[in-house]
Amino acid sequence: MKRRWKFCFLAFVWVGVISFGTLSFAEKGPSILNKVGKAAGAAIKAVKTEGHPEVSEQEKLTPCFECHKEATPDIEKEWYNSGHGIANVKCYQCHGTFENMKKVPSDDNCYVCHANAKNHTKPGKTCWACHPAHNFPVKKK
Amino acid sequence: MGLSRREFLKRTAALTAASYVGLELPFTLHKEASAADVDKWVRGSCRLCGVGCRLDLGVKNGRGVALRGVPESRTNLGYLCMKGMLFYKVMGHPERLTKPLYREKKDQPFKEISWDEALDIAAKKFAGAVTAYGNDSVAYYGSGQALTEETYIFQKVMRGGLKTNNVEGNPRLCMASAVGGYLTSFGADEPIGSYADIEKAHCFFIIGSNMAEAHPVIFRRLMRRKLDNPDKVKVINVDPRVSPTSRIADMHMQFKPGTDLAILNAMAYVIINEKLYDEKFINDYAVFRMGKEKKQVDFAAYKKFLEDYTPEKAAAICGGNITPEKIRTAAHWFAKSPATMSLWTMGINQRKRGVWANNLIHNLHILTGQLLKPGADSFSLTGQPNACGGVREGGGLCHILPGHRLVKIEKLRNQVEEAWGIPKGRIPPKPGYHTVAMFEAINAGKIKAIWINCTSPAQSLPNADKYRKGMSREDCFIVVTDIFPTKTTELANLVLPTAFHFEKTGVYGCTERRSQLTPKAIDPPKGAKPEVWIVREWALRLAKELNDPVIKQCVAPFIGKEEGYELPKAIWDEYSQKLTKNRDNDLRGATYEVLKSMPDGVQWPAPTEAFAKTGGTVKKFVRGIDPLADKEAKDDKPYQFYGPAHKDRKLWIWLRPYKGPAEAPDAEYPFYLSTGRIIDHWHTTSMTGRIPELMRANPYAYVEVNPADAKRLGIKPGDMVEVESRRGKNVLPAKVYEGPIEGMVFVYWHDMHEDRMINRVTKDAYDPGSKEPEFKICACRIKRVSGPKPLKPYIVT
Repeated sequence: MKRRWKFCFLAFVWVGVISFGTLSFAEKGPSILNKVGKAAGAAIKAVKTEGHPEVSEQEKLTPCFECHKEATPDIEKEWYNSGHGIANVKCYQCHGTFENMKKVPSDDNCYVCHANAKNHTKPGKTCWACHPAHNFPVKKK
Repeated sequence: MGLSRREFLKRTAALTAASYVGLELPFTLHKEASAADVDKWVRGSCRLCGVGCRLDLGVKNGRGVALRGVPESRTNLGYLCMKGMLFYKVMGHPERLTKPLYREKKDQPFKEISWDEALDIAAKKFAGAVTAYGNDSVAYYGSGQALTEETYIFQKVMRGGLKTNNVEGNPRLCMASAVGGYLTSFGADEPIGSYADIEKAHCFFIIGSNMAEAHPVIFRRLMRRKLDNPDKVKVINVDPRVSPTSRIADMHMQFKPGTDLAILNAMAYVIINEKLYDEKFINDYAVFRMGKEKKQVDFAAYKKFLEDYTPEKAAAICGGNITPEKIRTAAHWFAKSPATMSLWTMGINQRKRGVWANNLIHNLHILTGQLLKPGADSFSLTGQPNACGGVREGGGLCHILPGHRLVKIEKLRNQVEEAWGIPKGRIPPKPGYHTVAMFEAINAGKIKAIWINCTSPAQSLPNADKYRKGMSREDCFIVVTDIFPTKTTELANLVLPTAFHFEKTGVYGCTERRSQLTPKAIDPPKGAKPEVWIVREWALRLAKELNDPVIKQCVAPFIGKEEGYELPKAIWDEYSQKLTKNRDNDLRGATYEVLKSMPDGVQWPAPTEAFAKTGGTVKKFVRGIDPLADKEAKDDKPYQFYGPAHKDRKLWIWLRPYKGPAEAPDAEYPFYLSTGRIIDHWHTTSMTGRIPELMRANPYAYVEVNPADAKRLGIKPGDMVEVESRRGKNVLPAKVYEGPIEGMVFVYWHDMHEDRMINRVTKDAYDPGSKEPEFKICACRIKRVSGPKPLKPYIVT
């Protein structure tokens, strides 16, 4: 898996270097606030990525599944064919984005949509103890 | 299923990361509180699409910090999409507008001013225009995202106070053809059935809708129905583009854009000629009509009319993968299923003949009796959260008054004047400008002051450059009320900061005739105000400026009310009790008290509180279910079509010929261009572009090109491609994808960047009946301009 990540990362770097040369900054519209002499709206900050291999700001603009088709193909396939995959429930809805990423999400994320599931979750158990990630099978009643 | 994973991946395999290359994001990132770590949960509705998902906002230390679905809700059953999960991040965003901003001329910088100054300026400018140029020199352009109370009070002041019907809104751009279709086919606007039909349907006919992305939580219900009953339930997807919706389809019908009217007539041909119709249902409830004169004809004439649409002839018109066999199969599945539900959105509505396309879908349901029974309905999906409730029901378009009343009928105008306590004859008899005409009037210098509320026409109008030019005129004073800067605030003279969802109180009415209350849960940022307060204070100043006590009378019942709850409640009480009384959207039972007590609001008609507390009317026109069907019954038949538009109380089957788009491809512009939504973003991205997860998932628009076309033109994934029409051009990265049919390109319309703002390219032709523009089809040419380039996500700040 590490090798795949390395490949993916290098491919990005290659595309970046060959195609674009140097990086430039994000474009922002003319700020209404600037026009009244105040500071610009939101600052652009480089934020350290936690819980994910280091990637550049430009790589962070890639939908998760694009890399994970290569990096974690089994997981991507499970997700794609699951109810979540068909209904377009995307990786970041459970795992967050780079600044708040959790490799293992909290059950709280599940309860955003599955609040009633709390009633049958056994104490001390996670949702995926019974419904394995990433296809989350449900026993037919 | 229509597409296996292997197939789907194969189609998208040509896409590489290069097409997503971009740089830093234009927003600051914050740490959020854990969803469980909140002081209280406050129940309301989602701010975004037309599904009407019910949700709880988690509040901590007076801030919105989380959202979760409400399992008891009959709309979403507890589920939320990513936008519904995350829109709380808009609330405390540092770029929220918090001070009124003003400039005399549009080339000057804005300066901050006080609310008193701002309201005085707005009043003086509108009053000055009325005095110098007449009442029709002013206009209001609103939104299907404004609360019902907001749309209602805006249009009341414009019509009753300023004596103009120049009241329009962005639902003209998305739902007007559906309104026209319902009125002309069923005699009454809005769907007969409900989402509850989904779990009872055996055949879904999804046409002109990528509901997997545009209405994800309702799509989930269809998906679940299909996955749980793979053999029992059939799904037909009719669309020139393979989309994520196609994944649950048993059959995907892909055709040349604009030829679907021929498919629909051909399905009717099969239903008639193979005797798949419900003769008793037709005899009991339907008549056949044709032409502008609505001339009644007989079954034989209809049958003869359909001879031009044999499956063979239609297949030849439609191209793509359409074969006579496919049309026959679709007609059989549709007619023979125990219950068939059609669903559609902009692919049908945003068309030169959008009303006709709606009629032809309704025809299939009337012919086969696939209506009024559990699981069967002809169901238009609404795009915005309050296009139905606020604008269609609340009087937010130039030709309608509150309570589904037509401006042109004197009796109905008088009812409204009486309810408002203003002199008879105060509301002018002539409808105002519809949307395209309104912005054309600005171009022509006829409108001197316009108030634009909660929408960004500078980005969302078709052929946008043409209308942005008019909006730049110095002789048109523009007020914009919004929460963030947009492409439209860039053209404004006065920008007024407003409260966001959950920072004020009000009602949204979603797709299925359901009204739901969202109460104020947190304070707006200091300086931002609810629209209802703004309009009231503006109207009081207008009354002084014009020395007209009737303007004051329009807001007199609301003077002194507390703005967060009491004021919108008083407005809702007036609207629901006085204006919907004895109308088909009777909401008298849906008081704030009742709405607060329900997990998911009330479906109209709901004439009494006792009935509203049952949830209201799940199915219109059915005796025993719809109280108005019982009250209005003229015979002992189970279905009673009491809608205001059909005096004969019949369903109308229309003879509508196939017509192509306003602008078809030719030698100079050989491609079809179509546009649409993407799941992660909402409309013009002023909100979703500021939510890191959503912006990252789709940082900019791209152009989808069929691989066969890409090969022919030497376009590789990620290459920069120019998309040019007779009106304008974009340069976007290519996604080479077997989604659009060969000869067609597709562009998402959310991106604000000038290079990627596709409404600079689209065409402003519109349906002659509904006046809804044909966003979905125009002619363009494409060419590769370079390899991949660094792209920058962009939002106006």
